[in-house]
Amino acid sequence: MIDESLLNRLIEEMNSRGAEYAEARYHNIVRTSIIVLNGMVIGVGKEVKEGIALRAVAEGGLGFASSTSLNTEDALAAARRAVMAAKTSARTKRNPVRMGPARLGRAKYSVVEREPLEDVSLDDKVKSLIEEYKALQLEKNGFKVSSLTLHYAESIETKVVVTSDSAHVESRVPRVAVFYNIAASNGGGKQANRFFELGGSGGYEVYRGFNLAKQIQDDIESLYIALTRARSPPRGRMDVIVSPELVGLIVHESAGHPSEADRVLGREAAQAGMSFRSYYKEERIGSEHVTVVDDPTIPGSLGFYLYDDEGVAARERVLYDHGRLAELLHNRETAAVYGVESNAAARAMDYESEPIIRMANTYMKPGDYSFEELVEDVKYGVYIKKYMEWNIDDVRWGQRYVGLEAYIIQNGELKQPITNVVLETTTKNFYSSIDAVGKDLKFYAGICGKGEPAQGVPVWMGGPHVRLRNMYIG
Amino acid sequence: MDIHSLAEQAAKIVSKYAGEYIVKITRTDDLMVKYARGESTVTQSWSTIDVEVYAAKNQRILITSYSTTTPERALEELPRLIEALQPSPLYAPLPQANGEPLSFVDEKVREVVLSGDARKQVEELALEEAGDVAGKVEFALKKVVLVGSNGADYSYEATHFNGYIRVFREGSSGQWSWTSSSYEPSLARKALEQAVELASLCSRLPKKSIEPGRYRVLLSPMVAGNLVEHLAMAASAGSIIFGFSFLQARKPGDSVASEELTVLDKPRDTSLPGFTGFDDEGVATRDKPIVEKGVLKTILHNTKTARVLGGETTGNAGWITPHPYNIEVKPGDHTLDELIEALGTGVYITNNWYTRFQNYLEGRFSTVSRDAVILYENKKPVACTERIRIADTMPNLFNSIEAIGREAWQIEWWEVTVPTRIPHILIKDIGLSKPT
Repeated sequence: MIDESLLNRLIEEMNSRGAEYAEARYHNIVRTSIIVLNGMVIGVGKEVKEGIALRAVAEGGLGFASSTSLNTEDALAAARRAVMAAKTSARTKRNPVRMGPARLGRAKYSVVEREPLEDVSLDDKVKSLIEEYKALQLEKNGFKVSSLTLHYAESIETKVVVTSDSAHVESRVPRVAVFYNIAASNGGGKQANRFFELGGSGGYEVYRGFNLAKQIQDDIESLYIALTRARSPPRGRMDVIVSPELVGLIVHESAGHPSEADRVLGREAAQAGMSFRSYYKEERIGSEHVTVVDDPTIPGSLGFYLYDDEGVAARERVLYDHGRLAELLHNRETAAVYGVESNAAARAMDYESEPIIRMANTYMKPGDYSFEELVEDVKYGVYIKKYMEWNIDDVRWGQRYVGLEAYIIQNGELKQPITNVVLETTTKNFYSSIDAVGKDLKFYAGICGKGEPAQGVPVWMGGPHVRLRNMYIG
Repeated sequence: MDIHSLAEQAAKIVSKYAGEYIVKITRTDDLMVKYARGESTVTQSWSTIDVEVYAAKNQRILITSYSTTTPERALEELPRLIEALQPSPLYAPLPQANGEPLSFVDEKVREVVLSGDARKQVEELALEEAGDVAGKVEFALKKVVLVGSNGADYSYEATHFNGYIRVFREGSSGQWSWTSSSYEPSLARKALEQAVELASLCSRLPKKSIEPGRYRVLLSPMVAGNLVEHLAMAASAGSIIFGFSFLQARKPGDSVASEELTVLDKPRDTSLPGFTGFDDEGVATRDKPIVEKGVLKTILHNTKTARVLGGETTGNAGWITPHPYNIEVKPGDHTLDELIEALGTGVYITNNWYTRFQNYLEGRFSTVSRDAVILYENKKPVACTERIRIADTMPNLFNSIEAIGREAWQIEWWEVTVPTRIPHILIKDIGLSKPT
């Protein structure tokens, strides 16, 4: 930990050098990872990322500086660099940076670990991963898993955020995640992958809740179906049912990202791109069944926080409201441009990162259909259950998702499995084609990338099953 | 702070617990000016120290990374960590170190970084004068020290000047990048000119949609750099072992691309900022072909992957996953005009992002265009089209290379993370798709 008086001194130093706004963040992430390949431990990693991050607004420019060293002299040098950086930016600045008013916190919070990560030995964590592997059935009928990589990662993120306008927030968030990649072949020359991530905030109970062997076995079965039984997909216009796994990704990509105010204003134009919301003039983006929100305050979520990295109190943000475009995700800088209050979307990956506008846990609100009710009203279509490939253009309009496990739907029943089914559509077309929304909300874990240097932050993405009418499938 | 003393201090602690070890300390001082809407949105300045430790005991492998100036306390937990491990199937003894350190420091870059003041350079480059521009300009100074139980005791310094510029003109845009070990303002200006030219061309041309299908396509160095990086990473033994490589079933000597294509890993080329004279195991690096005239020549190895897959280290460690340092595609004989002539009727894709795989093992992927996508008919630019995708397989893409340009560009940006020197590449037949 850090002597907090140092953070206050850094604020004073930046102010004395001409900062109109100053912010100091102590940021410490301790991460332990275990990599298991085909049931054997490849290695264990331990990472400690600890340092201070400073921001200053001076002469209308914004500067950021970070320092690994917590030594007072080095930290003060970083404070001076932050102000110098701000003045460098000011040279070309036509629109001065302002930090808008916000609900700033003076608070301290931590996520409770029901089973503290420290109380479970590394040895037991390693053994558990190996036991999960041993429980798997890896071969049948010529089909074989050729390689299975498990990557367990736990982290504890500790922060203290102090600003010159009196925010002071301390936080501690432990997280657990598992990534895995399954490579398999059908014995006849065809091969395929399934890459997946599980994650949440909390202690070791989060890992136990993954039911890892069951989850992986289910994915092995998907690969078995894709490689041994699935046919090529049909082409043409038809109804489509999309699973919660894919709905979660789609709302992250085409509702969350385009609602980031810094994209809308062009600040990320040369990196993660912009947003159709910069120029889209219509009020409606989807059917009345579509409500998409982002909420950092969901207990147990991977993107959990109660105050953002500018010290602003978090709350649910409604991005698409019954098919209408609603609020944007803001930090204090963009909120000032729009004349609104920040809704606490500023996040930084680590002490080397400036806080920028990020999602936390983005999801589509559930409706009241059961999965069976969604299917029974489809005469001919496809159900996309799991995917591998996806991408979206830099204004978050044209997007493509390729199903790994999918099925033909005929007369209200799931029939023949298919694979490599392509849904390539636009944001408006996707949300406007939804005529029914399931009640089975599920969340999925991910790492979201943005910024320069690129920052990956943990998020959840979620939704229920949804039904789309008359989509083009390729 | 003397990071060599810090490395020795860390090594002394680690040696108490581990039979084999490497300590690598990287000190980075970095200054980045970021632009959007024709003005600087933020300037960022870093001073970081990363202490990375590889430790092995009884064939157990532990890798730690600490961003700290006082790693002593953290390192004390090594025995607890290492005892919990099991012998690793990847384990191989560390090789005898034989590194041949290289250094290159451009004094101008050093001066900018250490002063934390790039105001003069910002004024000199004057990127904002091009109007609606976005991008970044970055200056970095890196010092690396590597000491190990295998006799490694090396250090080097390197400087880095890179960036990219996206230019907007009346609803159209163009983007280009540059990278170098030296402060060369001409590189930034040339990248700016390219971006302006592409954005301006598309702003003058009509907009026209194209149908999904198979096309002859000219890839800019930005796009080609992204795709060739995926080829180079697929040649990493780590990608093969972990099930992420479309070269998994291929061996050196197999044909994997058109004979037009030669891809080199050039760690000893100090003009590109990824250079190093030793890898993370202390082994001397060497320049080498990954693919030569379409034939796979080298799987990139460290000592561990070489033992697992057979072969010898190529000096590309990564303690777990080997990787390329600087990538170069050997230029061909064609001017850009000649490539456009050969393109005839087809599509010139100037930038892309978001390359994702449906199937890593078979190389089935897609990537989305951004910025200028120019339609040519009978060798003339006739229109620009909307954002489209290349959707095909990597083997098909690299086997369909028809010609390579003679002018190479030094590229590094979000989607080309390894410094890459690469010309334009003409592909004769590749799948393009778009939303329907």
